[in-house]
Amino acid sequence: MIRISKILLFFCVTALLAWVLPWAYGFLGGAAPRTPFTLYSSVSGRFVWLESSENGPTYHDAAGATFTEREFDSLLPFFYYRQLVADNRFPDSVRGVAVTPRMAQSGSFMFRSSPRDLNTTGAGIYPMLESMSGRVDLETPSDVFRIDDRGITFIDCATNAVDTEKSAAFTEMMRRKGFEFPARVIAGNPTTRKEYDEGFFLTDRTGGLFHLKQTVGRPYVRAVPLPEGLEVAHIHVTEFRGRQYYALLTDTAGQLYVLTTEDYALHPVEIPPVDLRQEGLLIVGNPLDWTLRVAAADGAEHYYAIDSRDFSRLAEWHYPAPAPSALDRAARWVFPFRLEFTSTLDTAVYPRLLDFSARALLLGALLATAYCLLRRNNPLRLWPQTLFVLLFGIYAFIGLLLFSKR
Amino acid sequence: MGKAICYKEWIKTRWYLLLALVLMTAFTAYCLLNVSRVIEFKGAVHLWAVMLERDAVFIDLLTFLPLLTGLLLGIFQYVPEMQQSRLKLTLHLPYPHYRMVAAMLLYGTVTLCALYGVSLGLVTLRFETAVARELTQRVLLTALPWYLAGWAAYFLTAWVCLEPAWKRRILNLLVAAGVLRIYFLAPAPEAYNAFLPGLTLFTLLLSLLSLLSVYRFKTGEQD
Repeated sequence: MIRISKILLFFCVTALLAWVLPWAYGFLGGAAPRTPFTLYSSVSGRFVWLESSENGPTYHDAAGATFTEREFDSLLPFFYYRQLVADNRFPDSVRGVAVTPRMAQSGSFMFRSSPRDLNTTGAGIYPMLESMSGRVDLETPSDVFRIDDRGITFIDCATNAVDTEKSAAFTEMMRRKGFEFPARVIAGNPTTRKEYDEGFFLTDRTGGLFHLKQTVGRPYVRAVPLPEGLEVAHIHVTEFRGRQYYALLTDTAGQLYVLTTEDYALHPVEIPPVDLRQEGLLIVGNPLDWTLRVAAADGAEHYYAIDSRDFSRLAEWHYPAPAPSALDRAARWVFPFRLEFTSTLDTAVYPRLLDFSARALLLGALLATAYCLLRRNNPLRLWPQTLFVLLFGIYAFIGLLLFSKR
Repeated sequence: MGKAICYKEWIKTRWYLLLALVLMTAFTAYCLLNVSRVIEFKGAVHLWAVMLERDAVFIDLLTFLPLLTGLLLGIFQYVPEMQQSRLKLTLHLPYPHYRMVAAMLLYGTVTLCALYGVSLGLVTLRFETAVARELTQRVLLTALPWYLAGWAAYFLTAWVCLEPAWKRRILNLLVAAGVLRIYFLAPAPEAYNAFLPGLTLFTLLLSLLSLLSVYRFKTGEQD
């Protein structure tokens, strides 16, 4: 029992040191450099960016040209339309297409998806707003719903009781439209902080895609045809001001699709596969084109310009992952691994062993020798401790020095 | 002998346990009163909305309370043992040493179970009547690491208090602080769901550390 207690103590000390030491070491280095704010210019057909420096912001494009602030505004007429309108400089046309400030206002949007938002534990119940209340402002619904094997169940918030009539009506309508319970993916924006409501997009047990919303208290359910073999992984209901799209989706292969309101059709967006659970996605759209930024987990950022009419790729630009600093490289020789409990990619807490480095075995061997010398003992007699220091390096060495008897 | 040990521990801790029970119940009731006030003044829909949209759990006030009660129980139970080497007398009783310490730890574990049971029971009862089972589960799963931290604080306090040498006691304190930090790493609801089984096992294993302190006491370790 005492041996188990000792092992537990060394386990705790080693784990704490593997957690704390690399974290403290990280403070020695500065913050990683940020990539500049980059957008695709509908005017020049190139990526342009704004870089912050000690002398103030500077403006550049992918061809190497530099601009003044006023020129930069003109290159991004949809993004800076308010400034251009105020200066009376908003263009009449862009790339031969007649444009107006109103078009810029209603046709522009910003969409953001972060792994942290997706890798989180939801409550499993959702409020369904009234999509056709006849009022300008949306109202918080008085009930919430859950979907399980038996169907959809609405629970009244005031009484905490099931609304059997409404539940039966929605379940029956969903079944009639071909929905097979339970749901795999349930996506919506159940908030009143938006201009209108498009309800939820769901996939059923078989992977079929459905649109579900509440109109005048009654169910609106529509099956959305999917291309053969497409399996939906994530759905983001957009509800942009322009009402041009229902949702952005990715399939299990990472292909991004847009579901248009005009025809309920899925259009593939011509970018490489994106893993939304690991990579951040930012889309800044305007009536002519979209700028997509895919932020990879390694720090690289990939920009794509997409034609908003057919979602084909217009251009691309890449910022490589920052090269590891001398401190980072040195850490590979010092720490055999590091322990973290949290991550920027999710909200969960659990132990994660990261950055295993075989190079740290060298320091482990040196520290194991030093330990034997300090204890003035034969390494063969101290073989468990020697092996422990060899494998767990600096963490085991400090732990043994502090907590083992001479 | 088991009964006698329990009686000895009861004599040491009864007033503290009464105070802890009152405090635990009062703080829990205050949190639940807030839930009732929200329903009364803003309506049940608002309660559900803030729980769903803003991840509110309404019992944040309880975050460090189990930790504090566990830590104080450890102090009330084990500091007297170390005064005037009373532990030496305890260990001279005709009963296996480690079983004796295990019985003391079991007493503390069970009393904390009762304390936390009252608190969690009140929370469950109130939320079950007000919100859907998913939201009640969410509140309980969010709070469980706080209560596990209470048991961990108790076991670690026992480990630190029973340690005979002051230098080692300070090192133990540092390790205990680091271990307890693990229970409070994320404010997001249900952040510990995947880790809860492992964390529960780890918390129970922490009770073994006290045996190490007793072993060191028996072998005559001192500053």
